[in-house]
Amino acid sequence: MSEKMYALLLQLYPLQFREAYGDEALQLLRDRARDERGFMPQLRLWLNLLGDLAVSIPREYWREEGLIGAAARPNLCGAPGFQVLESDGPRLGAQFCAGVLSLAGFVLLLIVIGNSWNYLLPGAWFEQLQVLGEARTAGSEAHLLPASFGLAQTQSAQPNPQDATSAIVQAFGTHNVVMFGEAHGNRQEYEWLCKLVGTAGFADRVDDIVVEFGNSLYQKSVDRYIAGEDVPLEQVRKAWRNVIGSVGPPSPVYEQFYRAVREANMKRRGKHRMRLLLGDPYGDWEKINDAEGLGPYLVHRDEWYAQVVKDEVLAKNHRALLIMGAGHFLRRNGPGLVEGQIRAAGANPYLVVFGTNAVGGYDDLDKRFDAWGLPAIVALSGSWVGDLPAMPVVSGGTGPATQLKLSDAADALLYVGPRDGLTQLRMPRSELDGTPYGIEMARRLTILMGRPGNFLYDQPEAPQFERLQPHPNAGGGPPMGAPPKSIHDPLPPRPPSQ
Amino acid sequence: MPKRKLDPLPSAAFQILLSLADEEKHGYAIMRQIQEQTGGRTRLGPGTLYSSIESLLQEGLIEEVGAHSDAELGHERRRYYRITQSGRKLARQEAEKMADVLRVARARKILRGDYV
Repeated sequence: MSEKMYALLLQLYPLQFREAYGDEALQLLRDRARDERGFMPQLRLWLNLLGDLAVSIPREYWREEGLIGAAARPNLCGAPGFQVLESDGPRLGAQFCAGVLSLAGFVLLLIVIGNSWNYLLPGAWFEQLQVLGEARTAGSEAHLLPASFGLAQTQSAQPNPQDATSAIVQAFGTHNVVMFGEAHGNRQEYEWLCKLVGTAGFADRVDDIVVEFGNSLYQKSVDRYIAGEDVPLEQVRKAWRNVIGSVGPPSPVYEQFYRAVREANMKRRGKHRMRLLLGDPYGDWEKINDAEGLGPYLVHRDEWYAQVVKDEVLAKNHRALLIMGAGHFLRRNGPGLVEGQIRAAGANPYLVVFGTNAVGGYDDLDKRFDAWGLPAIVALSGSWVGDLPAMPVVSGGTGPATQLKLSDAADALLYVGPRDGLTQLRMPRSELDGTPYGIEMARRLTILMGRPGNFLYDQPEAPQFERLQPHPNAGGGPPMGAPPKSIHDPLPPRPPSQ
Repeated sequence: MPKRKLDPLPSAAFQILLSLADEEKHGYAIMRQIQEQTGGRTRLGPGTLYSSIESLLQEGLIEEVGAHSDAELGHERRRYYRITQSGRKLARQEAEKMADVLRVARARKILRGDYV
């Protein structure tokens, strides 16, 4: 109860402070509550906490740059002297706020310390406070809840969409791994992801981001790049350009994401830095000449991804965001391969998948999504969203409906906008048409699919989910060859990282 | 958070630097160390502690060295901090300033006994 009360009081701090240190402040309270038992120690603890709140909250809101220093200027040039912030009087606003907070805090203290909670308050009062907090909708920072509340929702038919960034940050309060099933190349989704990694609350909590769109052969180059070193673009971009499982050239969103992580790290002076872990198998396209050479890497993509998570995240007691195509992460008859393996290795994952407002056929768009702030994450258990069929929502209405309910397929849904507003960024034609990389891409697709395929587009941005049209060459194209025998082989030994 | 300047050093920030002088610590260990080194007179609350830590991080006077659990306190992950070279230098300068003031105070017979 004390912790929940303090968690509520923490809401009085500015968002950035809560995101950066909310978990630590609660942890410190738990430590003190454990060590300072008995009536008098508890009373002293709460008096100390309330005094701290009264002083530090106004300071966090109103302290301008350099105020701490300004509060203790040397009196005479060259003369030894020292003065502390506490010796300067707080501003009038701070005094007023501190007075109100102290009064409110003192009343709450009497309630908590005196063990008279149940007598002085209606039984459901505290629960109503929680429900009120949870009922606030996405789109406003004011609705943020402390991490200890997790993503739990009341069991009702109405969903509780939360600001997507806040929801992810909160999820890391109760889960060491958050899995995000992405829609490949989606502009709106990656704009949010780039913002997410630059959020202090996220970067403070997360050690690693494991991505599908990075060939682990190039982990060394990416480590240097993400750490802010000068790495030639020609070298580091091999990580996202030489992905084994990529059908066609990578969307520019991936390069943008790498850059966003690098920039976020470079702003974190003195703080721990996030690591971008590459989850694609370490096959070297410069040495792969046919389907037999590609086979072992292609079929072991999920296993290798899970291995990276086990070795680099779980074994080090890290927290990580896992990003992979939604198809890899969706639970069908229970967890997928990656989730199953990392759960067995001790992970406690929370699964979020990208979704749309397409709930039936291509033209069946659900208007109820329109009321949500964007981008939003909504927990799927116990609401009408969770009861929707998974596949039209995740596939934007481009595939047939399935029996699988969303709530059985994932824990939460990311919604970045109506289906018809979603766009996919494509590598510009100028980077591919007749260029060495374009020629190499045609070679890879021939190995992968038996034919070069068409990967040149005039428009660098196109609707994410277009209505499926009968292919003009349906049934007329060259048949794909039989799968290579090498798909039954294990992954070859890993070469040194480049 | 807005960038803060720590010149001169507030007492909470100075105490944190002193607490980290010998080894890296997490927030609760810093709080306990400060309580011990001030004879129980100073017990930093979470708001003051982490506000000061943020200022020190921004000024490059301390740095985060990762997160791991503390065997004495269970399996919860805790962020650890350590003092940097510039933090150590600033703490020394601050201590020397205080020592100067104390010498003056003793010379003027304001302080008696075994101070410093």
